[in-house]
Amino acid sequence: MGILGSGLRDGLSLHPIRYPWAYDLYNQAVANTWFPNEVQLVQDLADFEKLSDDEKHALKTVISYLNPNELLINKSLAFGIYPYVNAAEAQLYLSKQMWEEANHFMTFEYIIETFPFDREEIYAAGFGKKSLADKADFQNKHLDVMLDPNLDIYSLEGKKDFVRSLVAYNIVLEGIWFYSGFMVGMSFRQRNLLRNVGSLLDWITRDENLHLTFGINLLLTILDENPELQTQEFAEEIRGLILQAVELEKAYNKDMLPKGILGLNADYVNQYVMHMTDRRLQELGFEPEYNVPNPAKWMAAANDTLELVNFFESTNTSYEVNTTK
Amino acid sequence: MKEINVVKRDGTKEPFDANKINTAILKACEGLPDQISKVVQVATELQLTLFDGITTEQLDEAVIQTVLQNVKDDPDYDKIAARLLLKTVYKQILGDYETAEELKKLHAREFPKFVKAAVKEGLLDKRMADGRFDLKKLAAELDPARDDLSKYLGVVTNKNRYALRKQNGSPIETPQFTHMRIAMGLSYNESDPTTAAIEFYNHMSNLEYVPGGSTRVNAGGSFPQLSNCFLLNVDDDMESIAKAVRDTMWIAKGTGGIGIGFTKLRAAGSPVKTTNTESTGPIPFMKMIDTALFAVSRKGKKAGAAAIYMENWHLNFDQFVDLRQNSGDPYLRTRFANTAVFISDEFMKRVEKDQDWYLFDPAETPDLTELYGEEFSARYKEYIKIAEAGKLRTFDKVPARQQFKRILTSLQATSHPWLTWKDTINVRALNNNTGTIHLSNLCTEITLPQDKNNIATCNLVSINLSAFLGEDKTWDWDRLKEAARAAVRQLDNLCDITQTPIPEAMHSNQQTRAIGLGIMGLSDVLEKLGYCYESKEAYDLVDQLTEFISYHAIDQSADLAKELGSYPTFVGSGWSKGILPIDTVDKLSKDRGVKVKIDQKTRLDWDGLRKKVKKGMRNATLMAIAPTANIGHVAGTTPGIDPQFAQIFSRSTLNGKFLEVNHNLVRDLKKLGLWDNLKDEIFAAQGDIQDIDGIPQNIKDVYKTSFQLSPYAFIEVAARAQKWVDQAISRNMYLETRDIDEYVKIYSEAWKRGLKTTYYLHVKPRHQSEQTTVSVDKIAEQKVRTNSKVRGFGFAKINK
Repeated sequence: MGILGSGLRDGLSLHPIRYPWAYDLYNQAVANTWFPNEVQLVQDLADFEKLSDDEKHALKTVISYLNPNELLINKSLAFGIYPYVNAAEAQLYLSKQMWEEANHFMTFEYIIETFPFDREEIYAAGFGKKSLADKADFQNKHLDVMLDPNLDIYSLEGKKDFVRSLVAYNIVLEGIWFYSGFMVGMSFRQRNLLRNVGSLLDWITRDENLHLTFGINLLLTILDENPELQTQEFAEEIRGLILQAVELEKAYNKDMLPKGILGLNADYVNQYVMHMTDRRLQELGFEPEYNVPNPAKWMAAANDTLELVNFFESTNTSYEVNTTK
Repeated sequence: MKEINVVKRDGTKEPFDANKINTAILKACEGLPDQISKVVQVATELQLTLFDGITTEQLDEAVIQTVLQNVKDDPDYDKIAARLLLKTVYKQILGDYETAEELKKLHAREFPKFVKAAVKEGLLDKRMADGRFDLKKLAAELDPARDDLSKYLGVVTNKNRYALRKQNGSPIETPQFTHMRIAMGLSYNESDPTTAAIEFYNHMSNLEYVPGGSTRVNAGGSFPQLSNCFLLNVDDDMESIAKAVRDTMWIAKGTGGIGIGFTKLRAAGSPVKTTNTESTGPIPFMKMIDTALFAVSRKGKKAGAAAIYMENWHLNFDQFVDLRQNSGDPYLRTRFANTAVFISDEFMKRVEKDQDWYLFDPAETPDLTELYGEEFSARYKEYIKIAEAGKLRTFDKVPARQQFKRILTSLQATSHPWLTWKDTINVRALNNNTGTIHLSNLCTEITLPQDKNNIATCNLVSINLSAFLGEDKTWDWDRLKEAARAAVRQLDNLCDITQTPIPEAMHSNQQTRAIGLGIMGLSDVLEKLGYCYESKEAYDLVDQLTEFISYHAIDQSADLAKELGSYPTFVGSGWSKGILPIDTVDKLSKDRGVKVKIDQKTRLDWDGLRKKVKKGMRNATLMAIAPTANIGHVAGTTPGIDPQFAQIFSRSTLNGKFLEVNHNLVRDLKKLGLWDNLKDEIFAAQGDIQDIDGIPQNIKDVYKTSFQLSPYAFIEVAARAQKWVDQAISRNMYLETRDIDEYVKIYSEAWKRGLKTTYYLHVKPRHQSEQTTVSVDKIAEQKVRTNSKVRGFGFAKINK
């Protein structure tokens, strides 16, 4: 029995663990548990007032995009992924992930509630522009397929639909599209602005990172267990899907940064997106497409290294909550 | 490329001039290798971030940020960024200049004007310009070339945190102005204030020592709240609790750190006679302190911060341990206030022997907070008998080991409560002739007594060890001695100048004249000498250095006593009996009935000093090793006695997130021609060089990360220093293990070796976010944890 399946009585026993990576990820995810109200946003409010109109626009665009999409991911998981994943350890992980998406959603709510945002405007902005609508269409197309009650996960087409859906939500949405938003959000901290929002984003990226690791492992496992998926044609289709998503993202970045703000413009973010896409391609076994370096070298400090926190001044976001007794 | 216009300060536009920027960067590269390639690198990357309509300020900032993002490849870029930032500071405050000579002249010309204007505006103390100082002479001493000693983080910390600003927020001090303002602000009462100020200035501007944050912010200012630490103990009545909240607010406003003892408060459910009701216990009142800190800490240069102390026999100790949990009823949690537990020898012995531990309501055992050592143990045992005989209203009982593990489990998950040892502190104290020490402070390095009439205060300076180690790896002992003596004098002056709107704190300050001289830069000098942190050479060195500094600090205080008189409560102190810090080790062994395991070798004439201190001391305490998390940046060295966190890591502070690359390691690897080839690998390994091929073993031995060092090395270093330090040491701990039984061993050992306190615990995270600035295949390899045969879509040929 492979990792895919829809038997209601399958996958209810944890032991023997068939996919240790999934179990490890579950345990790490539990240790990473955090809550948005551990971070105080008051200091950031003063920063917000200092931002230029273009900067405010960029921040709002990021928030208005990320916020609803955290819940969209849960729909993808609930309808498209969870019902077809059979191993208990993988289901445990997915359950924790769904709670995390809810927690991320509430984190953005917390930001929206705290900052002087016009709630209606933020929500409207999430779907208003064509570039955003195109991104939403891309996601919905792949989710709709999974809602078909006649979907047979044991058939070749069913498996292909599952992989497409997994790529659309996991590789594209969580692995590429979210990252440009995170980068824009963290760029403010680089200028010592919105540090506490930055701390929240640190936590969210830490979670997203595990989501992505899980999704990639799941995808690779499925390919391994189902050799019939290993065709040239299907590989090209998946690759094409990812590259199409990059084009959608470029249009969106243009809308997010029509003029440019300090340290960032749309071309810069596009290059980052292409760089991240190459990583995703390589993680799936593909050759890279763009071969461009990460233009944001400052992310070395923002994200890539162990962090020593002056705990009087900044929230320690690297702690873990469970202890070995 | 599209056209880019820059908006100037006056609102006019001009086309972006790459040449101008490149020239400025080139100038900042002075003395560094490969200048042209550095300029090209920055210029290329800068292009990416520009946009039409960028302002000159934004352009300056963009250049600096672009330079900074290259620090991970070469720490030389840190120097360039520091110089560029300094230049914007000079231009903003002093105006345009071309050469170094012009800059020095500008400093000399502008400083007297700055002082007079700032006094006029009420920003500085009137004494700064009332004629007691020769301002011209002081101004001529200012040497901006010394700013080149600073790293970028030092410049930025100074600019954002310490430099004086006008009411409207615009900065008015260059770094050298700041040093001189502080020096003057501590020299008002000297017979020759100008000479004294010049001496202090020279030590500080050469980064030989750095005073604590409150002093740096407020010295010379119109409200000289210069003390760094306050320790207050709350009594079991409403008046005292309300007063503690009030005092907390005042201290937080004046940027001091606070320790607050809550052990005396009666437990939840304890009867309240006046209203015939029951007390809610101490926890809700701790929440009030927490809220007060938040209310006052929002703006200001340094956030208000406090540590709440409790002894672990208090009936509500269990709830106390949970104060920092991230879930649960927010009214039973403190988000801001830190927590620390004050532990007796009796408890540690019961942990060892696996005996029960009893918890009492202080309303029924009021004398326990005042007792320590053998007397505490005796009385505690009596209370156990009374409790078991059913004569107490209430008590609780848990296996001591179980409670110890509970403390340590919380420490691992929340970094709180910090462990501090009541009996070690009190038995070894020379200054508790006026009463018991009930708690330590915010950073666990201060150990002073307090009572209803005394809120203990302490004043800090930290000596930068790396300033005294020559290129030839020899120590300049004479200069170190001079610096230690000057620092003590400067601190003693501070006792007469500092002010606070809390009479009990003023009183304690005047009665004790307590000061704390510390050290920083230990890891820095160990690396320069090629010693590993966990080596005999390192232990011996920290032993020798602290002995030397302690000796001269004590000797200087005794000299000052001759000149100016002893501190008022000197009579009856350990000093007055000819007892020195080193002598208290045996005293502790005797009181515990267990030998404190520590090398007691001495190198200096302590006998002579024993006789000298008997005659008089100017200060009740002399030494305390502070964490120096911020002033360490000012000095550009490693904080306190901390190990190197990692060879590359990021620091998250009030000023933002900064990448730190270990300059010493880079210098050593560059010498061997290894840095350029290995830097990406070192970065990918999160600044851990141990598994990197091609780095010689002797280098690997010196440059271990904090999580690779033995926890017992942290204990040994602190134990060696603690012999000589009459107060305590902010001993940060770094652990990779998550095994609580190991924690029991480690923290028991810390107690056995005579540590008075430990501080924050950093536990190595098991999971890090994906690295996005290193090469990809490395990541792909780590990520795919399934099985090595899985290749994903690797079978497919993609035709582009």
